[in-house]
Amino acid sequence: MLTMMGITFREGLNRKVLLISLILAVIFLGLYGTGVHYAAKSFNEHPNPILAAVVYPQLLSFGLYFGGFIVSFLAIFSAVGAISAEIETGIIQAVITKPIRRCDYVWGKFLGLGLFLALYAALFFIVIAMIINVKTGLVLDGQWRALGLFALQPVVLLAVTLFGSVVLPTIANGVVMFMLYAVAVIGGMVEQIGWLISNTGLQQAGIVTSLVMPVDSLYRKIVHLLMRPTDNPINALQQMGPFGSMAEPSVWMVVYALLYVVFFTGLAAYAFGRKDI
Amino acid sequence: MDMAIETFNLTKKYGAKVGCAEICLRVPRGQIFGFLGPNGAGKSTLVKMLVGLLFPTSGKAILLNRALGDTEVRKKIGFLPENFRYHDWLAGQQLLEFHASLYGLSGTAKKRRVSEVLDLVGLAGKEKQKVQTYSKGMRQRAGLACALLPDPDLLFLDEPTSALDPIGRKDVREILVTLKDLGKTIFLNSHLLSEVEMICDAVAFIRQGKIIRQGLLEDLRTSNIEVEMKVGGLTPALTAALSTLASSIEMEDDLVRIRVKQEADIPRLAALVVTGGGYLFEMHRKKSTLEEMFISTTGGGEEIC
Repeated sequence: MLTMMGITFREGLNRKVLLISLILAVIFLGLYGTGVHYAAKSFNEHPNPILAAVVYPQLLSFGLYFGGFIVSFLAIFSAVGAISAEIETGIIQAVITKPIRRCDYVWGKFLGLGLFLALYAALFFIVIAMIINVKTGLVLDGQWRALGLFALQPVVLLAVTLFGSVVLPTIANGVVMFMLYAVAVIGGMVEQIGWLISNTGLQQAGIVTSLVMPVDSLYRKIVHLLMRPTDNPINALQQMGPFGSMAEPSVWMVVYALLYVVFFTGLAAYAFGRKDI
Repeated sequence: MDMAIETFNLTKKYGAKVGCAEICLRVPRGQIFGFLGPNGAGKSTLVKMLVGLLFPTSGKAILLNRALGDTEVRKKIGFLPENFRYHDWLAGQQLLEFHASLYGLSGTAKKRRVSEVLDLVGLAGKEKQKVQTYSKGMRQRAGLACALLPDPDLLFLDEPTSALDPIGRKDVREILVTLKDLGKTIFLNSHLLSEVEMICDAVAFIRQGKIIRQGLLEDLRTSNIEVEMKVGGLTPALTAALSTLASSIEMEDDLVRIRVKQEADIPRLAALVVTGGGYLFEMHRKKSTLEEMFISTTGGGEEIC
């Protein structure tokens, strides 16, 4: 398993998708840093503490939301052909005929890619948090737990994409995973609107999509950890809009996300163990 | 006799389509075994079942005295797939080190073995190059090196020389013969019949998923012998006498082509000509080539299932 984990991690570092993701990340963080810089400069020149208390957290959640997009895309692109592409090219034939168990092959892939994605996401989070902290002076209380959840987001996508990679051809898997991710994102927004207008149906629709793909609810949990609306009335304003989180997902949603990861990776290992190559 | 491979009614079905049906093979240790058949006959299906890529629908197999599917036994099995593709972003040495790790080799044993197989397949000096810069022949050599890493007791080779030039083919043949001399068993799946003929001890022919003939190459050759004779004074009585020994007979003026089933019939043919009043001017034994055997046994051509 460790051999597979090692080669998968190294492969992740060698893939073109990483280079593209790094370029995108640099462009994104550059633009984001510039935006935050000028916003902070404006508030420094024309102080407005109440407006700043609303805008700065919104800038943070904006950064984390779109940063999560890039990390999620990297997760899907990295894992979409993790197994299926090796079957299609024939690389797998020389690998799984070695004295390794098939489940070790799948778990090794998961651990290698998971480590790579979690590190990438963690680095992304740290850069965003540093930009916000340095430029605006905003103190992020639950940042370490939030970092952990931010790093968990691509791992959740990885687990289900890896399963898809066992049972579907690469292109079909890519289409399904992007649709699933879109369902999670739209579901999250629908749920926010539901809380905003107190519509139970929309709220429940959001909860259901969170169960299908819990990535967005992890993001909402991160936002809550960093900006608690109960602290003061202004913070409630911070949670409004598509990037906010008007209802904090419970800790059980985090537990569910972890079980989701274990379930789909285990299912991938089970399905692969019975698959004809 | 100690068997490297034994299969008992090994069958693979894909729905209604049959990949392999009731395959019963016995390959003794220390042999080079040729597995022959037209495209689509089921050769790769059987190899894939034996190396663990496909799961049999029914039947069983024993490899090196362990049941099919046993992970431990794979430490002594090498496999070169037909469509050899590897992690081509790695350098040759890194690729071999990765595969050596999969075989459980580590530390100095890994380094030593990687160096040995690089020398053996003629890639020494090229190990720092990325595999993606290798020619097709070099990649096939790298694939063979991967298969040889565990110093295997049983080696499955699926078209091992298809991408090699004549010198490369000769090199591989020599490696295989050396391995055989060391007591290794080699299961060779190849279309290059002349090569199979040069190095194999035994062969099996498969057609439409079924083994239709198998045995030692020499036995198969001698079981179908063609003799060409130039005979003077042929009479209907003499022809009838010769026909009693022949499985087939063709005559063209004084030229007689006869197929007999055993070597002992060859001197009997000569005796029949002499005692029957004929004059035997010439007599040649024509050895059946593997290609002739292949075509007569399998019917040749690609199979459409």
